Amino acid sequence: MTVAVAALGSGLGLGKAVGSAMEAMARQPEAAGKIQTGMIIGAAFIEALTIYALVAVILLK
Amino acid sequence: MIEKTTLILNGIVHTINEHAAEVSDTLVEHQAHGGFVSDTLKSLHDTAHAAVGHVVHGAEHAAHGAGHAPELPNWLELAKILFPGRLTEFLFAWHVVIFSAVVWLMLSFFCIIAYRKRSIYPGKLQNFIEWIVETLYNLIVGILGPSGAKYVPFLGTLFVYIFTMNVFGLFPGMFSSTSKLNTTLALAICVFCYVQFEGIRTNGLKGYILHLAGSPKSVVEWCLVPLNLPLHIIGELAKPISLSLRLFGNISGEDMLLAIFAGLGIASLAFINPPNWLPGLPLQFPFIFLALLTSFVQALVFTLLSSIYFSLMTHREEEHH
Repeated sequence: MTVAVAALGSGLGLGKAVGSAMEAMARQPEAAGKIQTGMIIGAAFIEALTIYALVAVILLK
Repeated sequence: MIEKTTLILNGIVHTINEHAAEVSDTLVEHQAHGGFVSDTLKSLHDTAHAAVGHVVHGAEHAAHGAGHAPELPNWLELAKILFPGRLTEFLFAWHVVIFSAVVWLMLSFFCIIAYRKRSIYPGKLQNFIEWIVETLYNLIVGILGPSGAKYVPFLGTLFVYIFTMNVFGLFPGMFSSTSKLNTTLALAICVFCYVQFEGIRTNGLKGYILHLAGSPKSVVEWCLVPLNLPLHIIGELAKPISLSLRLFGNISGEDMLLAIFAGLGIASLAFINPPNWLPGLPLQFPFIFLALLTSFVQALVFTLLSSIYFSLMTHREEEHH
């Protein structure tokens, strides 16, 4: 249940991040490479929060 | 029904943890283990209908019931089971360290070979390693500025080492040491200590403490120092914790995913009492690609975050990326 709520949060956050990355890439296609790199790194950070929840659940069981 | 399936699946996960699918024919010869495997498969044949439906549910129960995270077995674990004795027990007890030692020995070996035979016209191996080094150099200098070139060896090594360790576990029978908190915490503590040392070295002790207090420049900021100082100290301590937990959680999660889907693959063919050369469908295969992607991304994120911590601490260049 904990992990489900954390996944919900990261789903929302990642959606917003990737959405704004897509929008930025559409506005300036020549910067698409840099924006993509930033998007992947941002996604890793957001995902990390869900992973913390998963690790906490596993360590406590 | 659920209890029986859970018990059976507990047996499966236990079996997967202790035997590899590839050596199942060897296990048939060893009677004690062989009897367990064929008994398990026969019981699965009996509960065909419920098995597939409850497999994932049961695997979750089995995982928590087993008390530790399920993972695919590695060579040292197999050696401990097939040849029980003090040497193999000792090797298995240290398997995390041994696999990480194998990784750095392999990397050093490659680099030494490329270095010995270097020339102005690079061959394939030297070209490959030069490409890696140049990409890492551009990446890190892009964040730290031209004066960051002296951190490139440390951060570049971090990236290559972590990436190789992550990918190493995807080979059958191998194990990625970063799927244990030991290794990742050790790496994060190395980064933490180096960053603090560099902060003291470049800013001086007084400047380091002032930086931790938020670099107060006006009276208002001086009044806020009792608030800023603990905040910054907790922030600094949170950095290695978050680095290690992020890497550990991602890689061990990938390992668990692979193990659970391998169990699913074995259970999927159980109802037709499969032959020894095909214990199950390789259902974990697509997730190996996902594991490759997250291995690369996590190594990259670890390196980038470490370089950002360096740039925050030294504040040398004002160019922001």
